[in-house]
Amino acid sequence: MSIRRIASFTGIALAIGTTIALLNSGTVLSLLTQATIYAIFALGLGLLLRQNGMVSFGHALFFGTAGYIVGILLQLKALPAEGAIVAAVLGLTLFAFVLGLVVVRVPGIAFGMLTLAIGQMFYLTASRSRGLTGGADGMNIDWPATLFGAPTSVLLKPDSMFLLCWVALVLILAGLAFLLRGRFGSITEAVRDNEERARFIGIRTLLPRAAVFALSAAVTSVAGVLSALNTGFVSPESLHWSVSGVALMMVVVGGYRALWGPALGAGVYFLAKDILGDYASHWMAIFGIALITVIVFSPEGIAGALQRIATRRGAGAGTPCIGTAKPSALH
Amino acid sequence: MSEFVLQADDVAIHYGGVKAVDGVCLTLERGQIRGLIGPNGAGKSTVIDAITGRRKLTRGRVQLRGEDVTALDVVERRRRGLSRSFQRTSVFGQMPVRRQVELASHKMHVSDSAADADDVLQELGLDALGDVTAADLGYGEQRRLDLALALVGRPSVLLLDEPMAGLSVKESMDLAQHLKALASRRDVSVLLVEHDMDVVFGISDVVTVFELGRVIASGEPAAVRADARVREAYLGSAA
Repeated sequence: MSIRRIASFTGIALAIGTTIALLNSGTVLSLLTQATIYAIFALGLGLLLRQNGMVSFGHALFFGTAGYIVGILLQLKALPAEGAIVAAVLGLTLFAFVLGLVVVRVPGIAFGMLTLAIGQMFYLTASRSRGLTGGADGMNIDWPATLFGAPTSVLLKPDSMFLLCWVALVLILAGLAFLLRGRFGSITEAVRDNEERARFIGIRTLLPRAAVFALSAAVTSVAGVLSALNTGFVSPESLHWSVSGVALMMVVVGGYRALWGPALGAGVYFLAKDILGDYASHWMAIFGIALITVIVFSPEGIAGALQRIATRRGAGAGTPCIGTAKPSALH
Repeated sequence: MSEFVLQADDVAIHYGGVKAVDGVCLTLERGQIRGLIGPNGAGKSTVIDAITGRRKLTRGRVQLRGEDVTALDVVERRRRGLSRSFQRTSVFGQMPVRRQVELASHKMHVSDSAADADDVLQELGLDALGDVTAADLGYGEQRRLDLALALVGRPSVLLLDEPMAGLSVKESMDLAQHLKALASRRDVSVLLVEHDMDVVFGISDVVTVFELGRVIASGEPAAVRADARVREAYLGSAA
């Protein structure tokens, strides 16, 4: 994707977000804020799958821990809120990089199980460290009156909170699109597609995979900080494997081949939850059927289906079909 | 005086009691094409794995342009000019052709990697397919892409593990002639493992024959073809 296209999409997305913030009621905006936060979470998880081909069942670790780090640092008055936010995101990114140097070596399902185990370890630790984290009851986060120069009460209004999350989502998407169109994207795709061949073209394969794991954690931890700001509360539930599972569902429904697919999946999930929740208490059963339908008919998710439709239209307009071009004779 | 760009001395790879390769010595002179033949399981691919660093040596030494590279890993050997293709096509399935060849060139620290990639793609007749995802290529095209990934960055030694596998007779002969011209033009020495006897004897300067992990004959194609032990051990009625 060219820089101009990334800039155009960013501009359009920001305009759409502003319009939504201006036109909708507080209830709708609260739902959309939650969806946007989970969109960022799913974006982080989807990045790991897209660039490393790895499925994590424990990414809630970075989501929940980000909130806990901010909460604990504020409780201990160790850092101002701004510093606590930066410490949470950077600290988790660094932690994920070091952890990644070990865990990304583990292939396939074993990687998933390892992330599940590490995630649950954090869940149990948070549940039982009553003195520091409030244990199973969770902890309130004592946000100061101002944050980055803005009054917190204004930030927490539904429209500004939604806009803040939306801008974060759009900027992260644009940043990732920019990063992945370059050498880092090529290297990580090569390692994902064929690690052995990658070594034989001179790529050291461990660092790029650990870097993707760290980047994925960084994005997810931003979602965790925003969630902590939105609710003013963090509990062990945010670290539970089921939260990772929900995010993974969003990635699958939205599709991970397109960078924006997981974010779309989060939107669809919250929309389904809102609409179906009105009719059925066990709405997840209905969503499960939708999930199966997507997996069967479009394994690349909704984004993949949309891209296929767009490609067909493009092909209809005269673009040559992929793979039909004939090479010139060897010379 | 001949110049060895590659020298493998007493290379052995043992798996427990199994001696996959046992005391093999191989050399490549500058610009030379050495054919490597032998029955299935003779240890031909294992020797390539040994030379490129994919498998650890039980004993022996590998030198590249006079430098001992035995202790170096795959990446370092590739950076020093030791390149290979694979028996089973090994490309980056989801990446467009040009992007992966350009990446391979960049990783070899070529200053103008885009021009190097274009040059190799053109050389292998892949220039029109630069934007096509590798998985969408035909089999023969994927074989050539595998070769392109090995050729960028101007390696001094190219180890080709059955590059004609799965190609039609005509495609094999085309690629063989192309390889010969390419080795000369790009000043690269080639170690060619191949089952197609016509190809091996047609383009190799020297031929080495393996059996049960050991060299049983080595020399000019005509002499090897005439070697009674080779005829008995490998070529049989095909000789």
